[in-house]
Amino acid sequence: MQKKNVISNNQIKNLLVTTIIGVGILSLPSNIAVVLDNDGWIAVLVSGLLIIPFILIIDKLFKMYPNKTIFEIGEEVLGKFIFKIFLIIIAIYATITLAYSIRVFGEVIKAYLLERTPIAVIIITMLLATSYASRAEIEILGRVATMVYPILLALFIFLFLINMPKSDYTDILPLFNADFTKLPRGIMVTIFSYAGYEIIMVAYPLTDNRKDTLKYTLRGLFIVIGIYLAAFFISLSQLGVNQLKRTLWPTIAIAKEVDLPGYFLENLDGIVIALWVLIVYTSVGPLFYIGGKTLSYIFNTKSHDVFILPLIPIIYLISMIPDNIISVYDEMGRILSYFLIASIMAVPAIIFFAALIKRRRRRT
Amino acid sequence: MNISINLNENVNAIKEVLKNCDDVVYRTIEVGESSKTKTLMVFVDGLANGKVISEFAIESILKISKLNKINTESIMSNISEKVSDEFLAIHDIKEEYDLDKVIEMILIGETALLIDGSDKALILSTRGWPSRNVAEPPNETVVRGPRDGFTEIVRTNTALVRRRIRDPKLKVKSMQVGRRSKTDIAIMYIEDIASDEILNEVIRRIEKIDIDAIGESALLESLIDGNHLTPFPLIENTERPDAVAASILEGRIAILTDNTPFALLVPTTVGTFFQSSEDYYTKWPMASIFRFIRLSAALLTVLSPALYIAITSFHPGLIPSVLAFYVAASRINVPFPAVVESFLMELTIELLRESGTRVAGPIGSTIGIVGGIIIGQAAVEAGVVSPLKIIIAAVTTISFFAIANYEWALALRVIRFIFMILASILGLYGIMLGVAVLIVHFARLDSFGVPFASPFSGLGLKEGDLKDTIVKAPIQKLKFRPIFTFPKDKRRFRER
Repeated sequence: MQKKNVISNNQIKNLLVTTIIGVGILSLPSNIAVVLDNDGWIAVLVSGLLIIPFILIIDKLFKMYPNKTIFEIGEEVLGKFIFKIFLIIIAIYATITLAYSIRVFGEVIKAYLLERTPIAVIIITMLLATSYASRAEIEILGRVATMVYPILLALFIFLFLINMPKSDYTDILPLFNADFTKLPRGIMVTIFSYAGYEIIMVAYPLTDNRKDTLKYTLRGLFIVIGIYLAAFFISLSQLGVNQLKRTLWPTIAIAKEVDLPGYFLENLDGIVIALWVLIVYTSVGPLFYIGGKTLSYIFNTKSHDVFILPLIPIIYLISMIPDNIISVYDEMGRILSYFLIASIMAVPAIIFFAALIKRRRRRT
Repeated sequence: MNISINLNENVNAIKEVLKNCDDVVYRTIEVGESSKTKTLMVFVDGLANGKVISEFAIESILKISKLNKINTESIMSNISEKVSDEFLAIHDIKEEYDLDKVIEMILIGETALLIDGSDKALILSTRGWPSRNVAEPPNETVVRGPRDGFTEIVRTNTALVRRRIRDPKLKVKSMQVGRRSKTDIAIMYIEDIASDEILNEVIRRIEKIDIDAIGESALLESLIDGNHLTPFPLIENTERPDAVAASILEGRIAILTDNTPFALLVPTTVGTFFQSSEDYYTKWPMASIFRFIRLSAALLTVLSPALYIAITSFHPGLIPSVLAFYVAASRINVPFPAVVESFLMELTIELLRESGTRVAGPIGSTIGIVGGIIIGQAAVEAGVVSPLKIIIAAVTTISFFAIANYEWALALRVIRFIFMILASILGLYGIMLGVAVLIVHFARLDSFGVPFASPFSGLGLKEGDLKDTIVKAPIQKLKFRPIFTFPKDKRRFRER
């Protein structure tokens, strides 16, 4: 019989990929093209590589404190009070990210599938459906991710393959022509798309084979980077840099460009969006789970699922604050980026260095 | 209560317990010539084989008096042994000292022989009741493969399985469930393959049952599956001994219940529901295609009516414009929205299916003809449904019958109504939400601790369990048993 609370390395990899890839992939190529033109891929690559040290930090941290959860480690290293402040930051980050993702999701669904349905209906139904996943434990999220992963991979491979023959690859050129002083700003844009990797902080200690976890996690990260790069290049070569900058969701736009002669389906974008619902679902679910889990540690409750349903109206209200999609991306995105940097980069780094100092002090 | 030496006391005690049971027969025979000893046989008419009792028990005992070999005075102390050893021509005789046990045995169909002056009863194995012969199971027919099916008698069923696996490691553990029904249950497994943890869990869950009667294995199934809220079966059932034997060899555990030909198989996963025993009797490329067809049939059963609703009422732009015009034109006479139309049609089909399964033979075919005409022509001509909807309904129904396992197909069939409602409110988006929730639901289920969604959800992916799930690889490639049963002996096939 399989032991409870165990997740295999392959499931961790799938969980990582499906959690990171979500609403971000639709707008990533155009957002970065606005900053870096043709060379947006450099920012995608660099920010992806930037995640590696943090994964290494997390790996090292769990090696220093085996069989402990990130919450137990944080409390031991930083003390209860400081760690709880950190947890509050993470909870705010999770809530805002959820609101942001769900709002963008609602706008896309409204634009492509349900023109006449109020966006509130879309957001609330999605949140309710997601809550079913996030009330479960992490190993169940891992199983869900493993089931959705082949669908995700097949969707993108299909999308790239059908676009390949009609693309104009000269659009990718000239390479290395952009203003590289803009690179940090570009990275700030693209680092958004890697939010969600922090799910491994919860999944890591539950692995069934500690030796290979790092390998699988990095493999998952590289798959994500690969998909992002492919999405950028395909959108760029299909649309050209000027049109790419002006397209809100280029990854769907390229699906619209394709017509398959003799095929049963005329408009591919509807199908792509339909499958993308699954991808967003598996991206929002784990984030929602993190939100609930963090709150349950702040309030010392036994299970996290009591916080999931009360979070729904809060997320809904926050998601409805921006007036339109542009202000979602601009204003909400700006606020979010502070919390994002704090939660997914600063917190693990601080815990790690505090642990290092503590260990050294004990030795001397 | 212990058996007393005085026969009359015993008779009265038994008669007191079995009061108003008029199917119980008491047959008194007196033995010996000089000093008569009273003997009594008690059995249930119909459960015990009367011919065996007359020919081999009563006749033998009557011979005792004729030969008068027996000097009752001298052997009074061990008269029962004497009778059993020297006279009775019955193949299995047990001794019993407890009256309650004796009554229990009588109710199973054995005959109790009580002799005056002896403090024990002889239980003669005379079980024999009317039963069905081994016949081909009607629901799981195969083109090629063995044609025997389980019967209602658990002993026959265990024998059918043991005939296929002559391994001394094949164990049969007997249990009784039901305070009143005292139903026999046989748990079959191969000791050095089946996982101890799963086996112990099965035994633990069966022992925990405290119910008055188990009528059918379905009742047992719902008592031990551990989740009574899900519509999906977490335990597979089959009538085929070859399927049970094959599953046992995979490391699964079979639970056979008396009075039903349906054996239960645990653990069960989504993958096992797409396997049919015939897959293993046909060549692998064909079997693989059938697997694929069954997988698509499952998808079509759940999704096709919902997709029809979503596309006609929300997203006509998704399909080619020529087809979209045709769909619109075919629906021009239909006064209802697609949802109502679909529900009308699907409910009619359900009605036909239900009445078709309940009645047999000539009446059944009448229903088929009536249904065919009503659905095929009249409904369209009356403008109640569109021709396209009839195609969709037909595809849904045919897909339902293509899925190998009936219970599993039934569950999928029921949830298609949920998908239809979702599609009618939120279109394609609603369908995808339903799919997502369904995936999570599968991930949350487990069958005796084994993730139900295996191998799709991860367990066994690396070990290659997909080779016998989505496709059926040639047996040379299936060297290892599937991992979801956590088998002790992993290797199944060796090349020499």
